[in-house]
Amino acid sequence: MNLPHIDFSVITPELIVIATALVVMLAEFVGAHATPSPTRSHRIALIALLGLVLAALAAVAGLGRAATDIQGMLVADDLGRYLELVVLLAAALGLLLAWDYLPQFTKMHSEYYALYLLAVVGMMFMGKSTELITLFVSLEILSVALYVLTGFHRGQLAAGEAALKYFLLGAFSSAFFIYGAALLYGDTGSTHLVDIAARASGGFLTLAGLALLLVGFGFKLAVVPFHMWTPDVYQGAPTPVTAFMSVGTKAAAFVALFRVLQAAGVSYATWSLVLALLATLTMTWGNLAALRQSSLKRMLAYSSIAHAGYMLIGVTAGMQLGLSAVLFYLFAYAFMNIGAFAVVSLLERPGYHATQDATIDAARGLFARKPLLAVVMAIFLLSLAGVPPLAGFFGKLYLFNAAVQSGWIWLAIVGMINSVVSAYYYLRVTVLMFMTEADETSFLRSPLSNATGLAIAVAMVGTLLLGIFAGPWLQQLGQAALAFAGS
Amino acid sequence: MSMDLTAIPLLSLILWLPVVGALLLFFVRKESTIKLIALATMLLDFVVSLGLLLNWSNTGDMQFVEKLLWIPPLNISYHLGVDGISLFLVLLTTLLGPIVVLYSWHNIKNNLRAFMVLLLVQQTGIVGVFTSLDLILFFIFWEFTLIPMYFLIGRWGGQRRVYAAVKFFLYTMAGSALMLVVILLLYWQTGSFDWIELQQTPLDPTVQTWAFLAFALAFAIKVPLFPFHTWLPDAHVEAPTAGSVILAGVLLKMGIYGFLRFCLPLFPDATLRFAPWIAGLALAGILYGALVALVQKDVKSLVAYSSIAHLGFVMLGVVSLNQQGLAGAVLQSVNHGLSTGALFLMVGMIYDRRHTRLLTEFGGLWKQIPIYSALLLVVVMASVGLPGLNGFVGEFTILVGAFKANRLWAVLGTVGVIFAAWYLLAAVRGMLQGPLDNPANQKLQDLSAREIWVLVPLILLFFLIGLFPNLFLDKINPAVETLLHGMNAAAQISFLP
Amino acid sequence: MTLILFAFLALIALAGGLGVVLSRNPVHSALSLLLNFASIAVIYFLLHAQFLGVVQVIVYAGAIVVLFLFVVMLIGGNIGPYRHGSRTVTSVIAVGLAAAFLALVVWSVVQVLPMSATPVGAPDAGSVQAVGMALYTDYLVPFELASLLLLVGMLGGVVLARRYQPFAEDETQ
Repeated sequence: MNLPHIDFSVITPELIVIATALVVMLAEFVGAHATPSPTRSHRIALIALLGLVLAALAAVAGLGRAATDIQGMLVADDLGRYLELVVLLAAALGLLLAWDYLPQFTKMHSEYYALYLLAVVGMMFMGKSTELITLFVSLEILSVALYVLTGFHRGQLAAGEAALKYFLLGAFSSAFFIYGAALLYGDTGSTHLVDIAARASGGFLTLAGLALLLVGFGFKLAVVPFHMWTPDVYQGAPTPVTAFMSVGTKAAAFVALFRVLQAAGVSYATWSLVLALLATLTMTWGNLAALRQSSLKRMLAYSSIAHAGYMLIGVTAGMQLGLSAVLFYLFAYAFMNIGAFAVVSLLERPGYHATQDATIDAARGLFARKPLLAVVMAIFLLSLAGVPPLAGFFGKLYLFNAAVQSGWIWLAIVGMINSVVSAYYYLRVTVLMFMTEADETSFLRSPLSNATGLAIAVAMVGTLLLGIFAGPWLQQLGQAALAFAGS
Repeated sequence: MSMDLTAIPLLSLILWLPVVGALLLFFVRKESTIKLIALATMLLDFVVSLGLLLNWSNTGDMQFVEKLLWIPPLNISYHLGVDGISLFLVLLTTLLGPIVVLYSWHNIKNNLRAFMVLLLVQQTGIVGVFTSLDLILFFIFWEFTLIPMYFLIGRWGGQRRVYAAVKFFLYTMAGSALMLVVILLLYWQTGSFDWIELQQTPLDPTVQTWAFLAFALAFAIKVPLFPFHTWLPDAHVEAPTAGSVILAGVLLKMGIYGFLRFCLPLFPDATLRFAPWIAGLALAGILYGALVALVQKDVKSLVAYSSIAHLGFVMLGVVSLNQQGLAGAVLQSVNHGLSTGALFLMVGMIYDRRHTRLLTEFGGLWKQIPIYSALLLVVVMASVGLPGLNGFVGEFTILVGAFKANRLWAVLGTVGVIFAAWYLLAAVRGMLQGPLDNPANQKLQDLSAREIWVLVPLILLFFLIGLFPNLFLDKINPAVETLLHGMNAAAQISFLP
Repeated sequence: MTLILFAFLALIALAGGLGVVLSRNPVHSALSLLLNFASIAVIYFLLHAQFLGVVQVIVYAGAIVVLFLFVVMLIGGNIGPYRHGSRTVTSVIAVGLAAAFLALVVWSVVQVLPMSATPVGAPDAGSVQAVGMALYTDYLVPFELASLLLLVGMLGGVVLARRYQPFAEDETQ
């Protein structure tokens, strides 16, 4: 018997985050009278942040290197490294949001940050998996961690409801996923994506297995018709968690979806049509439902469904152009969406037993009260709507370009029409912020803390400049996609 | 006598100066300093833009071209240039900049800084539209111009400002949604977003048809061509005066410019095919705008509807597809920007004093405020097309072009000119003549020196264009000629005599 | 012979599953679940998956069902009346979807019949030793990841089970 050779450099960033998670978990016991306090929480958060930064540096250091793998189960290629960077970026921004938000409602700081970091690890592993069991276990790591984080605000009914809903539906979707994996295994006798690609019969069994996997991914990506949990969960979860998972989960699931589809063993024509229909449904439903929301968090939840739909356009477009467009969009989305959630977290009325939520009306007259904050929020929202020259516009440009170049013109048209529809509800918020006066419904949590300010500033700079200076960056993403598509 | 300015990236300078000024404003607190910086930036921008004239050569080619590869994977470049078609539109934009800043000197009560920042970045957006030679760059500026105007209307506008602002934004955004897809489609077909390269690549007629329709929809909404005009009265009436001036003066010209710059040379076959239809819509717009303007009680909406009629006229020149028609369209675009801009300014001035714009509230103003009345008369005459003033030259040239293309168009267009004289003169008579019986009008102050300075440059230009039109047409004509010959060569059927 | 045994066990497992869903008494549900688990364990043995079969008995049939029963006993068997069959439309849709799903699975399996009569692995493929070898060599990565999953589960359990403590200054509000 020979023990497998493990190349740990494949998972350096993950190992750093795991180690940080363990340190953060044990930080609870450091100090003689370990009483939780905001200062203590800040220290723990700082450690977590350092870990994330270190991991990001490790991922950056690997960029451009040849792909290496561990037993064909985890692979370190540029696609995976970019995914790590998106997830780490989202995680760092979400962590800054939690900095002062967390101590307001709980004393369990090290538990929060440990779970948070483990969710990050789950996402990173998920995007690097090239084997179905590894993929499934990574998916479960991030899911279970997020179920608990969703319900972290223990004093609130809404948080409990959200966590329970997320857990039940998530478990359900995991069952679909594992069933699909089993069918593919039955078809090919292997769980490795490479073997599946080589051996799949392409018959009904392959199709059924792939369809079930797609259902599993659909739940995680909040694709219509598997989106029902999204508004409740995004609304009930603590805002920093919502901000983080809206980006991180999507990023991990999209990259994994690309890996699975590449190995699908089913022709492009078959699955791309299904995905095109799902994309249409998701965009349209998400945007139409968002029109009617009165809660900012729910509105952004439906908007995130719509954005999953836009990114599905990129998946439909295929491996090269589509993949680099989706990667770019994920970065843009991380900046603009977490930025928007950061402002939303400031508009939330704290409540310990009632629902803690930000209504759209809370933004009334924000420009008169905090001009800069209103301007920043407007920029995030306009970017989400896809107005140039902000990052969201360039993201959509590349997605729609990918669609048109691969012949999906009608899909690009549907996407553009959806952008216009979405502009309406984003504008509604700007109308309240800039064009109405403050009244008793408006609210702003004060003061703006340094950590939140930093998160907003970073998100702002990214939203403004990512698109304008996208040239070389996009080229690199394109090369990563090309390397992946050719592999 | 001319300095050599080719070494300086003049267009980039004109384009980005306002943004620099806007950034400076973030570091200033005092209101008076804010105003001064804004005015100085605008003036500087205008002076720099005059450099274009100094080094102008009367050819039909693109001049002051700057090209820089911007996003390599998609071959998108930062590609700027002006020719005779865009030259005066750029100058019009930079001229109206300082004028609206000066006009807004005292009457912006809240958030002056934000107001000025928006005016400045608006200018960058508009100049960008008029100078971009890369379709994506063009689209970025095109869409970007929505943002400042949306906030200008929505924050500083009148009673129904929110409705007007949202309608303006969504209407225009919806219109240009398809344009982006078609731009991508052209890229798929030709591998280029570059205007010059696209011109040299013949397109399949079917593609041309769809591409033309998508572009034309975006531009027709902007112009606005009947029946896509419904956003215009709301936006114009509700916008603050500075916003109305920019809207009518240059934003609408972006639509005309779009037709001239993109639809005609890139899709010549489709243009020939749809020209009669567009002419029909333009004529409908001329008559509709005039008839509706006739029954308006609010002076500002009267001017707004007159814009629909006037721009219908300009569109008629565009689809005449001959030298006179196109040159007239370009010149008349500038004329309309000057005269309607001046009209909105004057309506704003009377509104600042009386806080009403209803025609019935006025009468006999000659006796109380003679300077205002005299200037208003000049402005209206320019708008009506009195020989010797600018409007006449433009309208006459367009009519000649329309007559060559189709006599019926010219006849109907002339009816429109007569209508325009009717409703504008009726309005002037109602305001200026008759008894000064409204007590509120008896206390009116005449124009201040600042207000006169706001109007003087415009009025001087009325005379300059009206008396020496060739100063302008000499620069416009070669570009129009190049455009027409390019179209003729690219089209499947030759249409030039 | 194997086929008959399989069919018999599968029927029992199905009956157990139905019993879990349909019976109103939680204790009966838990016991039906036990029946289901046990028959599936035997199916595992039939497939030469000895280790799985044993784990199924020990962990699921043993620990988990007992845990269920404990909880049911602690809370009290009668959870109270709950609404039943109030939304016919949804249940029709649900049954329809379930039927479609069943058809999909059956159809996709039928497509690849006849499969090889014997299970994929060798007779001892499911032995403790073989499973152990596989877990520590070929499937080392997911095995190690599973430890992370357990850590997450543990942390989650701690968070959810601990008494909720809002910050003292807020408790009084």
